[in-house]
Amino acid sequence: MPNPLSTGHLHLSFQTHPPSSSHYPLALLRPSHFPLAVIGIASSSQTNTLNSIYSQFNSALLDIFPASNLFPLARNCFVFEENDNATNLNGGDNLPGTVVIPSMMGNKKLYIGTLLADLCSQILGEFGVVIQALESPLGNEYLNASLLATLPPLSELPVPLDLDKKSSLASLPSFSSQPEVSKTTFSLAPTPPLKRNSSSGPNYRQSTLGVQPPKKRASTVGTASSHARLYKMLGDFFLLAGRTEDANIWYTEALQLFKNSQDHAWHASALEGLVTIAVVEAWSAGHGLHNSSSATKEPWSDIIDKLTQATSLYQKSPLYYEGETNYAILAYLYSCCILRHSSLLFAVWSAKGWGPLAFTTMLQPGPTAHLPPTLAHDEADQWLNLERLTKFSGISRSSISTVLGQIHGPWMLHLHPRERLSILETMASIYACLGYKRKEAYILREVLGCIMDLMVCGREEDGITKVSGSQTAGLGIQNGASTPTGSSVALNQGGVGIRMSESSSGNESVLRLLKHVCKILGIDLDAVKLVDTSDQETGGKQSEKSETAGALDDVSVLEHFESYGWPELQVGVIREAVAVAEALPDFPAVAQFSLSSLKNLQAVLSPGDQHHLYSTSIRALMTARRRGDLRSIEYWSGKPIVSITLAPIPLIRLPVEKHMSVLSKQTSGLPPILQGITDPFLYNPRRATTKKDREVVAQNETLDFVVMLQNPFVFDLELQSLSLSASGVEFNSQPSRVVVPANSFHQVVLSGKALNTGILTVRGCVVQAPGGISQEFLLPLRTDEEEERLARKKSSIACEIGRFKYSGLESFPWERSKKPIKYQSSQMNPRKSFRFLECKVVPEQPLLRVRRTSVNHGALMLYEGERSTLRITLENISPLPIDFIHLAFEDSTIEPAQQALMDGDLSVFETYETEHSLINEPVFTWNKDEARPIQPGQTLTLSISCLGKAGCTSGTVHVSYSYAHRTDLEETSDYFYTRQISYPIMVTVYPMLQCHNMDLIPFPSYHDHIRGAENATRRYHLDIDDGSSWCLFSVDVRNTYGSPFEVAFEREYIGAPQSSAITTIPPGSTSRLILPLKRMSLSEKETSEPIPTLSDRQFVVAKDKLSGAELQLQRELFWYREALFRCVRGRWKEAGGIRTGGISLRQQRMTLPMLEALRQDFARVDLFLCPSGQEDGEDNEGPNRPLRPNQFLELKVKVTNLSSTSLPLSLTIDLEPSDCLVYEGTLVDIPIGRLDEGVTREMTIPICFLTDGQFEIMAHLRPVGLLYVDTKPARVQITTSVRS
Amino acid sequence: MSHHLFILSPSDTPVYSLTHHSTKPVATAPSPLAANLPTWSTSAFAGTLTALSGASGATQHTSSGPVRIGGGQDRHVIQMIANASLDVIEDIMRKENAMYLRSVDKFNEWTVSAFVTPGNVKFILLHEGKNDDGIRAFFMEVWEAFVKTQLNPFYSGQGVIRSSVFDGRVRTSAKKHL
Repeated sequence: MPNPLSTGHLHLSFQTHPPSSSHYPLALLRPSHFPLAVIGIASSSQTNTLNSIYSQFNSALLDIFPASNLFPLARNCFVFEENDNATNLNGGDNLPGTVVIPSMMGNKKLYIGTLLADLCSQILGEFGVVIQALESPLGNEYLNASLLATLPPLSELPVPLDLDKKSSLASLPSFSSQPEVSKTTFSLAPTPPLKRNSSSGPNYRQSTLGVQPPKKRASTVGTASSHARLYKMLGDFFLLAGRTEDANIWYTEALQLFKNSQDHAWHASALEGLVTIAVVEAWSAGHGLHNSSSATKEPWSDIIDKLTQATSLYQKSPLYYEGETNYAILAYLYSCCILRHSSLLFAVWSAKGWGPLAFTTMLQPGPTAHLPPTLAHDEADQWLNLERLTKFSGISRSSISTVLGQIHGPWMLHLHPRERLSILETMASIYACLGYKRKEAYILREVLGCIMDLMVCGREEDGITKVSGSQTAGLGIQNGASTPTGSSVALNQGGVGIRMSESSSGNESVLRLLKHVCKILGIDLDAVKLVDTSDQETGGKQSEKSETAGALDDVSVLEHFESYGWPELQVGVIREAVAVAEALPDFPAVAQFSLSSLKNLQAVLSPGDQHHLYSTSIRALMTARRRGDLRSIEYWSGKPIVSITLAPIPLIRLPVEKHMSVLSKQTSGLPPILQGITDPFLYNPRRATTKKDREVVAQNETLDFVVMLQNPFVFDLELQSLSLSASGVEFNSQPSRVVVPANSFHQVVLSGKALNTGILTVRGCVVQAPGGISQEFLLPLRTDEEEERLARKKSSIACEIGRFKYSGLESFPWERSKKPIKYQSSQMNPRKSFRFLECKVVPEQPLLRVRRTSVNHGALMLYEGERSTLRITLENISPLPIDFIHLAFEDSTIEPAQQALMDGDLSVFETYETEHSLINEPVFTWNKDEARPIQPGQTLTLSISCLGKAGCTSGTVHVSYSYAHRTDLEETSDYFYTRQISYPIMVTVYPMLQCHNMDLIPFPSYHDHIRGAENATRRYHLDIDDGSSWCLFSVDVRNTYGSPFEVAFEREYIGAPQSSAITTIPPGSTSRLILPLKRMSLSEKETSEPIPTLSDRQFVVAKDKLSGAELQLQRELFWYREALFRCVRGRWKEAGGIRTGGISLRQQRMTLPMLEALRQDFARVDLFLCPSGQEDGEDNEGPNRPLRPNQFLELKVKVTNLSSTSLPLSLTIDLEPSDCLVYEGTLVDIPIGRLDEGVTREMTIPICFLTDGQFEIMAHLRPVGLLYVDTKPARVQITTSVRS
Repeated sequence: MSHHLFILSPSDTPVYSLTHHSTKPVATAPSPLAANLPTWSTSAFAGTLTALSGASGATQHTSSGPVRIGGGQDRHVIQMIANASLDVIEDIMRKENAMYLRSVDKFNEWTVSAFVTPGNVKFILLHEGKNDDGIRAFFMEVWEAFVKTQLNPFYSGQGVIRSSVFDGRVRTSAKKHL
């Protein structure tokens, strides 16, 4: 008797499923495939008796294992008592195989261990019985009857030998002492002692161990068939019993016989048995530690050879064996053999070589059979780690893959679905551990196909759903859009699909599998997330926050289509994924998958696919909602918002911010019309920055935001709701429903009202796709900084394009993001703070409108120079009063003039002219005193005077108004806001009078004595006293218009009587108007002033270099011209009408001769001739009196200094003809001496005319010794007739 | 006997693909297990399974003898196999210096040979029979044509090769060697 509690190993494997009925033919070929024993576990209460439990157990067992089956060999039922009173459990002895475990019993573990050992010994006993049956000639015939022999129930076989069942059964109790079931303790005992006592079934066999196979053979002499199969069976049973030495012997025997036969399958099976023995022996013999070092050949190469042989044998195995076909079984055996082969390699590889770890993996697969401990850590799938395993074990991954790949082939279709599933699963997990992800994906697709097929077919068997049984030879995905799958078809056809089982457990795993496959092929099915709407309220806020940094990078800007993966495959897999999700059915997942693929694969999807996916998703979402699914889809289509801008507020509503001080400081020195150009600096860097980027809007008024949407897809994208996401002040806006046309940009106007004052920040838009949840898209302002950052990012991306940093699976974006490129990271960082579109909301503002005007059709017709008045009536249509009104005007002449001034190409003179015209001759003017507050609903009429200015074609009246001194607000502000209405006026100015040829000529200096009488008349008409101090102003006026005009030029001169020249000019004719002007003299101080500028412009150095004298002359010309225009006014009057206006002479040029004519001489010289001895007082009569020849006369010269300084003067007198007269003294350079200002000096020269005739006397007076000798001499000339 | 050539960019995107049918008969005999496959399911997913396991090609093979029309093989499956073989190719090309990787993988009835250019562009050829020298020569010629195509400054290096010259050359050398 062995030690009752000796230690050792008992390998029990618990199967989760009973083998399918289709495997029953394997019963003899592979006994290890079947459960050898069944343990029932029951809990008994008072209500059900032990008998009923027993019968229940038996019937359940019969249900699983039909009675015709050989297995299970042993059965046992453990009944656990629920409570203490064990009154009805006393009948246990009558029921074989039922053990009652009382509840009060302690140390149950030990007890159950004992019970298990009991069960094992029962199994071993049964082995003997089976072998006994097989050894009989009849049994052997059964065994050799067909390829997959089956044994009828043992009861039908005759008892072959004298040893009966009863004796073996009777011997059982002696083995009731059993070892503890241990899995973790390794015993290094040299011999496996426990295996020994497990062989205690048929006692005689123990004695024949190893030495008596011939005898054994002899015992079956007389049978017709070979004993090969029998020996193989013996080997199997010995192996199962743990007696490896025996098994080895019997297997070897069997192989000898098989070599000559054609029994391939059995041959291969025996080889497999040998292989198993080899592994078990290696495990038991010191775990292979000693022979791993000294092997020239790898220790497992022998095993591999055998397995390869077995594989080829299975493949060669005849399919037809006496009339029956065994495709399924053979394919299964073949697959199992290859799996055995590859998992051996895999175990060795993953355990870093032939060692204890490998054996543990093979002999004691835990719950994670295909995830060996060496690969269970996170970074296991890295190439380096995998290669290290190869290095240690000497087995390359590709060799494992090659072996494993042999399973795959068309024969897989022979397999029964469940087997196929399990084989495929095993394959996939081995591939996964090898790091062969694509192969894993391939297999997983088949796994999915298997599962889905089972699911769909299972439903069909229920008879509930009718699937159109269109079996396609291909993948089904080829049909693309129209693949009808699963129950969704039934739904579409109008019938109401009812699922019998509403259980959706497992769906999630199927979907996870799908996602995994897709991810390996480069599709991220989770690109669009499913969100549980029940916790959306809390979760939504958080997601917004987290999104801020990353998602703000403008995807559309940075997006560059970078292909990765295999587009055709991706499309195919997507179709399949959608079909799978539809067939489950999991509608949110359908939507998620189709939308994710639309988002990711938009570039490679054909239009048809895009349409299909989109419509599928919409349909699925609707269905999901109808069924009350709480999950929903987040927004998916990339970034739909391109830009948001505030639509320009209508001008009449635009508030303009002004500081309060504007009101108090009324008029700055500068006319506002020049303000545009009055910046004292030519270059003002601040000018550009003063542009406000914050719009000012009024409270409670509708704001329009223009949102640009994009749709890159080929279908019309529907947005269920689109609304502005505003923060800051309360903003009232209605979400709208938008359909963005396919492949285009679309503009949408969203309006809303700001309800409070403050800063309104428009962060972006909240977008919701139909059936999805809403998402906020932030749209920061494109500041320069931002632009630069994006440009940098773009260029760095562009730099990466076309280069392959990562290849294969690593090129997928989610893999790549794990290994970011380190450099440039500082520049690429998204900014933390963003600026958004901001509006300043100001308090409500009054609103004014133009009620009426006196202008018909907004058009004004004027003659050039005409002045008229127009009236504008304004009405306050708001509930707020208006207490500030200001008018500003604009006309078409202003801008060109301002532009010319800005350009600065004008000469000083022209600049003055332009400025003068701008300031002093505006088209419109108004009287500020007319501005009065307007109460709500009241009107105010303002009159505006208009001037017909040549070249003016249009004008605008701007009315700025405000409620500046508010009383309705609590806090007072330093700012107020004005609004402006503009009233455009068309202006037509008819130029009808043209002035040209303005001239100034000196008065004729001599009197015609013959017509002396006229002199007086002229004096009378022209109202002048003396020729030398007057000049004549003349101008030609032409009437180019169709009606006559009365033109008048008036002289207004201080110190001279008013005078005018009036004429009526008929259409088309020209008249010259002449007006005598008194010559004028401007002081040197006046004329030396530079030409003024009317604006405060920065001094500009004149471009043309003028000398001092030229400059002086220019200034004189300017100032005399100004003086001329001051005293000569032209005006016109419509002949026979009432319209009047002025004539401007400013177009006329003034020349130097004209200047000379106008300017008064510096001195005045008067000449008189009178007989000697006469008094001055009679001088006036002098010329009228005839002079006689040879009469002594006195030429009196009277010189008056008219200039403002004292001058030394000299006088020269010319007498012509000089030879006909005599005179006294000298006539040339007569010194007059220095004359002070206004002093007159007289001198007399006696002369005598010698003949009759006309004599001319001329006097020139010029200053002496002055620098400016070019001063024109004052001259006078008189003509005298001498008659005897 | 047909051949399928795929030229894959480093990001596994096909830039060129060719299906070539040569007149040579298929050398290997199919396994007896692959015969007489059942048509056992009615759902569409079974079609996926049938195709992926290579059965659709095999059934046709047995029914219509050696004369096979290209459509008999599911193009998608061919692509799946080519894609799956990348695992082995990537594994082996890291360990071996050779550009030509002979028969790196076997799947269903297909043998996969590959050629990896220095720029990590992979030529993948799915073939059935053994034709080592022919395939090597074929790959070298394709490589030459490919390099010439890449010299084109207007070719982005990542896009699909649409050059008819390239196509013609590849077809010619396929005819010659395969």
